[in-house]
Amino acid sequence: MEKGTREIILQARNLRYAYGEEKPALDGVSLDIREGEKIAVMGSNGAGKSTFFLNINGVLKSESGEIFYRGEKMTKKTLNRLRKSVGIVFQDADNQIIASTVRAEISFGPMNLKLPRGEVVSRVNEALAYMNLQGFEDRPPHYLSGGEKKRVSIADILAMHPEIIIFDEPTAALDPVNADMLEAVLGKMADDGKTILISTHDVDFAYRWAERIVVFGDGRIIADGEPLEVFRNSDILKRANLKRPMLLDIYEMLWKRGIIGQKKAYPRSVEEFAAML
Amino acid sequence: METYVQMGLGLTAIAMGLQGFWRSGREKRRHGHGHHSFGHKHDGSVFSIDYYAYASRLRGWNPGFKALFSMVCLVLCIACDNVYVSLGTILLMGYITVVMGGLPFWRYLSLMTIPIVFLFFGSVAVALGVAPFPTGQYCVHMGFFYLYCSDESLLATLRLVARAFGAVSAMYMLTLSTPASEIIVVLRGIHVPRLIVELMNMIYRYIFLMMDTQCRMKNAAESRLGYCDFKTSCISFGQVAGNLLVVSLKKGNAYYQALEARCYDGELRFLEEEKAVTAGQTAIAVVSVAALLTVWRLTA
Repeated sequence: MEKGTREIILQARNLRYAYGEEKPALDGVSLDIREGEKIAVMGSNGAGKSTFFLNINGVLKSESGEIFYRGEKMTKKTLNRLRKSVGIVFQDADNQIIASTVRAEISFGPMNLKLPRGEVVSRVNEALAYMNLQGFEDRPPHYLSGGEKKRVSIADILAMHPEIIIFDEPTAALDPVNADMLEAVLGKMADDGKTILISTHDVDFAYRWAERIVVFGDGRIIADGEPLEVFRNSDILKRANLKRPMLLDIYEMLWKRGIIGQKKAYPRSVEEFAAML
Repeated sequence: METYVQMGLGLTAIAMGLQGFWRSGREKRRHGHGHHSFGHKHDGSVFSIDYYAYASRLRGWNPGFKALFSMVCLVLCIACDNVYVSLGTILLMGYITVVMGGLPFWRYLSLMTIPIVFLFFGSVAVALGVAPFPTGQYCVHMGFFYLYCSDESLLATLRLVARAFGAVSAMYMLTLSTPASEIIVVLRGIHVPRLIVELMNMIYRYIFLMMDTQCRMKNAAESRLGYCDFKTSCISFGQVAGNLLVVSLKKGNAYYQALEARCYDGELRFLEEEKAVTAGQTAIAVVSVAALLTVWRLTA
């Protein structure tokens, strides 16, 4: 499906939010999220990414502005619908894990949705299988490694069957092997048609993974577009404390020196680059 | 609800800080993670009990059944007040924990030494008497007074010690084969108030996080010579404990947001696994209790 024709799942309109008396963390943010999109959310620390996520999940209530879910305006009464449909995988898995076994942990969301027991069991098993966590069911979280905890925190959200899954800096605490595992999982989710938002500081990852990049700066969205468009705008990069992806630099350098001919290719991954050469 | 999450965390912070002080400078942690091996090794008996319970071969038994079995043996041991029944309980429970549960014998023995200190002070009071004049079968002149005891009081002490160990071994059978989370499920089943059950759940989860944080803070202080002498240690300890409290309060907020993001509405609900009680397990329990009753009948 073409991007323009995909149905809008979630619309944020002019969200404002401030923590206490400080200057607003969100200062009029509007964003449309369409079905099946892969969005990277970028911007310096404190630009308002996490606050925005908590707002569109319904944990934080914006001071002004509106959120529409499938065209319906969300109010206090429908907050749980928002929480059910938008799942957040938090940055630190330890902040998210509450139960004392993996099975109980993954069941927490489905149990809160008041699903029948049989449904909870099947969702837990499905999430365990999806995240390759079979055999860990009875393990307490303090006997898990960092990568395993991350997988549990993702399974937590998968078991709730949300339409949009948000990852808050998922690769921050992972070693390269686990980061690869995470990318594989993201690929699998995209194949399953899930809508994914990821906040990240990793420009190379955003360049190769995302089909749309949203850049936050001082509580506003300062850029929203295709990766190439955003990363070639040096003004935006400067304002958002970002750097250009290495592959983009290398490609343009090679092109300028006339080593490669085509201008339009713009490979996004090392594999694409190799294929082009 | 939010404040009670934070309160629980705050209290545990203080406990952890104290515990950190005791262990300062001696802690060694080993890490080793694999798909089917257990991760951390924690010092301190509480954490090894948690680990043994998790590793026990009896973990697959229904926790309610184990709790009932252990309670029946405990009550029998105490109610019969018979040294043979007590010894029988010790042997039987030891057999179940060590041989059937697969706990190394020396570990079991070292865990059994934990209550010895308490028992020692308790039994000294029973065994020995103090009098201003010589009395009893055996007595020692201590200057102003006499310490005395008799065969009878020594035997009473022996009975008491055996009974206490019997009771401890019955409790150990439960705790060394049942992870805390399952014990909490049993407590919920017997309608212990929700507040207490949920607090237990949270404390069990967060005590390990707190330990981790405390350990990191302590290492950071130690790497800057924060524990080089007694006075500095006291100051560093105070700072770590205070910091831990502040961090806990801040984290409490983050945990609460994460809970709310998953539709938390004031009650912690988890899927509880249902473990069936098998005929073999019932047989073991019935035979054990019957054996203890027979010993009691024969020797009463």
